[in-house]
Amino acid sequence: MEEQSQDDGVSRRGFLLTSAAAAALAATAENPRPAAAAATAAPAEVVEVALEVNGKARTLALDPRVTLLDALRERLDLTGTKKGCDRGQCGACTVHVDGRRVLSCLTLAAGLGGKAVTTVEGLAEGDRLHPVQRAFVACDGLQCGFCTPGQVMSAVALIEEGHAGSEAEIREYMSGNICRCGAYQQIVQAVRMAKEEA
Amino acid sequence: MARPSMDRIDARAKVTGAARYSADHKLPGMVHGHLVTSTIARGRVVSMDLDAARAAGGVVEIYTPDHRPAFQGALTGLAAVFAETRPPLADREVHYHGQIVALVLAETVEQARDAAALIRVTYEAQPPNSSFEDAKEHAVSPPSVPGLPLGVPIKEPENVDIKAALAASEVTIERTYEIPPRHHSMMEPHAAVAVWQDGRLTIYSGTQGPAAHAMELSGVLGVEQADVHVISPYVGGGFGGKAFTWAPAMLAAAAARELGRPVKVVTGREQLFTVTGHRAASSQTFALGARRDGRLNAIEHATISQSLGEDPGYRTTPKYYAAPNVHISMKITPGLDLPTATIMRAPGDESGSFALECVMDELAEELGMDPIELRMRNYLESTLKGKLPYSSKHLDECYRVGAERFGWSRRGERPGAVTDGEWQVGMGMATAVLDAGRAPTTVRVAFRPNGTATVGNATSDAGTGMWTVMAMTGARALGLPADRIRPALGDSALPFAGSSDIYGAVGSAATATVTPAILTAAREAIAKLAEHAATAEGSPLRGADDVRYAEGRLTGGGKAVTFGELLTLTGTAEVGAQGTSADLDTTHAYASYAAHFCEVRVNRWTGEPLLSRFTTVVDAGAILNAKTARGQITGGVLFGLAAAMCEEGRVEGATGRISNANLADYLLPVNADTVEFDVHFLDHPDTRLSPTGARGIGELGTVGAAAAFANAVHNATGRRVRTLPITPDKLLA
Amino acid sequence: MRPYTYAAARSVGEALERAGDGSAYLAGGTTLVDLMKLEVVSPAHVVDITAVPLRGIRRGPRGLFIGAMERMADVAGHHLVAEPYPVVAEALRQSASPQIRNMATIGGNLLQRTRCGYFRDPATPCNRREPGSGCPAVDGHNRSHAILGTSDACVATHPSDLAVALTALDARLSLRGAGGERTLRLADFYRLPGGTPHLENELRPGELITGVTVPALPWARRSTYVKVRDRRSYEFALCSAAVAVHVKGGVIREARVAAGGVGTRPWRLPAVEEALRGRPMRTETFEAAVAHAADGARPLARNAFKPALLRRTIVRALVHLAG
Repeated sequence: MEEQSQDDGVSRRGFLLTSAAAAALAATAENPRPAAAAATAAPAEVVEVALEVNGKARTLALDPRVTLLDALRERLDLTGTKKGCDRGQCGACTVHVDGRRVLSCLTLAAGLGGKAVTTVEGLAEGDRLHPVQRAFVACDGLQCGFCTPGQVMSAVALIEEGHAGSEAEIREYMSGNICRCGAYQQIVQAVRMAKEEA
Repeated sequence: MARPSMDRIDARAKVTGAARYSADHKLPGMVHGHLVTSTIARGRVVSMDLDAARAAGGVVEIYTPDHRPAFQGALTGLAAVFAETRPPLADREVHYHGQIVALVLAETVEQARDAAALIRVTYEAQPPNSSFEDAKEHAVSPPSVPGLPLGVPIKEPENVDIKAALAASEVTIERTYEIPPRHHSMMEPHAAVAVWQDGRLTIYSGTQGPAAHAMELSGVLGVEQADVHVISPYVGGGFGGKAFTWAPAMLAAAAARELGRPVKVVTGREQLFTVTGHRAASSQTFALGARRDGRLNAIEHATISQSLGEDPGYRTTPKYYAAPNVHISMKITPGLDLPTATIMRAPGDESGSFALECVMDELAEELGMDPIELRMRNYLESTLKGKLPYSSKHLDECYRVGAERFGWSRRGERPGAVTDGEWQVGMGMATAVLDAGRAPTTVRVAFRPNGTATVGNATSDAGTGMWTVMAMTGARALGLPADRIRPALGDSALPFAGSSDIYGAVGSAATATVTPAILTAAREAIAKLAEHAATAEGSPLRGADDVRYAEGRLTGGGKAVTFGELLTLTGTAEVGAQGTSADLDTTHAYASYAAHFCEVRVNRWTGEPLLSRFTTVVDAGAILNAKTARGQITGGVLFGLAAAMCEEGRVEGATGRISNANLADYLLPVNADTVEFDVHFLDHPDTRLSPTGARGIGELGTVGAAAAFANAVHNATGRRVRTLPITPDKLLA
Repeated sequence: MRPYTYAAARSVGEALERAGDGSAYLAGGTTLVDLMKLEVVSPAHVVDITAVPLRGIRRGPRGLFIGAMERMADVAGHHLVAEPYPVVAEALRQSASPQIRNMATIGGNLLQRTRCGYFRDPATPCNRREPGSGCPAVDGHNRSHAILGTSDACVATHPSDLAVALTALDARLSLRGAGGERTLRLADFYRLPGGTPHLENELRPGELITGVTVPALPWARRSTYVKVRDRRSYEFALCSAAVAVHVKGGVIREARVAAGGVGTRPWRLPAVEEALRGRPMRTETFEAAVAHAADGARPLARNAFKPALLRRTIVRALVHLAG
């Protein structure tokens, strides 16, 4: 799907506004089986989202099922953000939304209107790496590299959050990012080095 | 001497997100594939309702057992033993829970995923035979596989009567150790992007061995190996799970050929547990017979596992301790309705070292002897069979240096003796031995006019540091700074010799294999360059008969020129040569060693065993890049510790379903589970193995780590846990 | 994920208006998006309430009010929470991961669904997901499952750490629906599974949690949350204990004890509280008081360790408060 203006999406939202009846709600325990309804589901709705990604204004017309992760990877060709589990269980997809680290696999892109997203591609200034990126290189805070964008994004946020105090605190606050290669101690060293520089 | 140490040259691409892994490739017209897997473990597909899926938006094609893309052949080579030989969608039969029953192809990733969920499959289910526990009783001797020593009984002497030897021993103990299945769980799920052009396949597919991957795919697809081009510069972790070819890549390639469009298939995290391989469960019984002074008289080791891939008897037991009577055997449980087992980091060695190094600890306790002392009394100087001397063995130094660094003398001899508030503190140690070796391989080294030199081999770097070691070795061989070396790997079109080097980075042998060939190829390339300098039109050295190369410069006839200048002057794009490393000297045996020391703290109330300190001293020959070598060891140790701390594939015997096939329930260690590991390299170059003197380290840390942890838990609590992992419930008083 | 229509609401009124048959509210997304991908839930409409201003952490006459849309991380770090109610901050800090705590809201946390693997796998039966289909957990892989409050129809645990802490403190929920506002004790909010495990709580159709009120309890400064799990972080509880004590002159005057990871809902333990009252604040007291903590428990084949673990987790928490 390309970036485009989608008038249709707007009118559909207008339709929802006026016709939705306040009745049963899926936030309760009741979950109707989807299968029967699914076969006759209407063609996918399109939602228009205007957001900022790595400092650039972007407008996307999206199926509302699209996650931020898939929007970045499949629509914006920002493949630095990785899909490790797509379930919020590994942290490889960590990005910043309005400066906070979040899991892009559990974030619907549709809800990001007006938000600023930063991905691993948005950290360096030209050729100049972000101090956290430099520290990951210097401390060998990576091996296969697949979890690395998520680790880097977490580490940047961690320092800004003020959670880079003791080694134990760094470890706890980096525990949302799994590294199967086991580069954890080098990651901790990188966080410390970057924090010193910051 | 300062150990060489260099930042990973691929690190910049990885920290900026610029490194493109398989699933990061996007080609014009590409369709997205999503797998559908079976929800029964045994039986057959009766019918599939595809209507809803077909009607869903964007669906391009749905492949099923009744309508599948063509496969012309089968997996060849080691893959025929260690991977799934039945092609995907072969027929309607279901052999394990989570087997692929359909591939949905759609225009977007969401459309493929969501259409896949609309497929309704009706099965005729039979009660599965999925319980390894139940199958153990009926285990059988494995069939012999030509050329593979796995599963073959080992007897020393040949006519050993092990029961008599055990009975004649002053002290005997017999213990059984159980290890559940484990899953590689590399962070990058298997993914492939395939495109065909003029009968040739190009496939972006993360693999440990690009050439083997091409060979295996060519066999399956019925095309020439040269017509399959595997591109895999970045691999998001392998650990043996990407050593062979699995269904997702086969399906991507076959579907792309049928559809005439590029196809991407990304395996879902849950699906990875079943459609790619795993480490089979194992059950090992050790009987040790010893003299009161600690000298071993008899070792009996009997293993049961699902697959030959996990043969701890062959891998481990003959390589640790001297004993006059040894009997090793293995049985397997064939025909289980379970996903295919394969090799996983230190196959056989991880499980074997856990059992052996625990039973040695148990024997030490029985004898009232220090565990290191017991090991030293049984130090192995030459191979059990054939009595070949080891090329370079400094395990005794590992014990000595490790004990000193770790403070082993502070260990409480009596279990449970040391407490710190609510924590019981214990220390344990274990030995790691890992066969070393190398295969002949071919490397191409070439000089280019821009002053750089390329060094290429069809190996891979799944985080091992190979990119960097190739650059450093090339730099050393050519007398150039490393930043002027352009390594090339992760591509099946690059050179390889066709020995077992085709498998690329497996068996901790990649560095030992590739680096000597770089030295050979560099010599050949230098000779070619010198000849070029003496003969090429436009060369300032033309006609000289004393051309010499040193540090990027050529001299001769009283003149000097850099190779960059030379090639520019002669208008030559590159001058290079291939070189193939020599065969291995077989008069010696080769192994890497480490001594692990572990401290744990076990909560006296709730039983959590927490890792608190770890020291390892490594004897692995020359360390070519201390920075990446350290990562290999710390990562390897954690990989091994994870077996003790948390990892466990849980198979429901009644259904064959893996009940924890996801990363929230199949627990990998997180950062908070670990500590700063103290890693010390002894650095004794093994020049008999190769001119670079480097042995393997990729799996070494993994070996023995779980035993060190379990032994520490025993020292802390007096509890001996013989079934992994060691979770809090097993330590509740 | 099934197709759905999407709409964002800017106020509670708008949210209630936009909610309809088969709709779901989207807050942090950490439960809903996950379960939609698994097709465990498949709403026809998603009403995004992230912009609804149910915010604020403030002290009032009835205690501490926390807006339902406050994020877990912000609540955990707030001085009005961390100082007077350490048990709440600790429970939050030991929940999930930093990224998830940045996303997930307090209301969503209290409404998160069980982590039972059968519930999360639509290919298996589950009475909670599909009433009447059966419960494979009773005879299946039930190491992580409940021992208290279970029924033959369901043995799933409630996964929230926060809810355990709030149950110990007897927090109240503020709810708003088409019929107006009401409040409800958290202890009365969650239902036992009985024969109807799909009815998890007292939320009425369309109703929103607007906030949580934690009663003023000055002695809750002496409180803690102990969470036992198979790895040290990013992991649900095998067993947890939320404990607060009021000690005067070395004697326990009041105590609050609730447990997680063992019950089909957050499990308050009044008998343990009673057994602590009037006793000296020391280990012998704790060990005696927990003797009956797991009375009535129905351990399953793979979680027979949980009664002992429950008792010991509570003791450990009390020992921390004594130290």
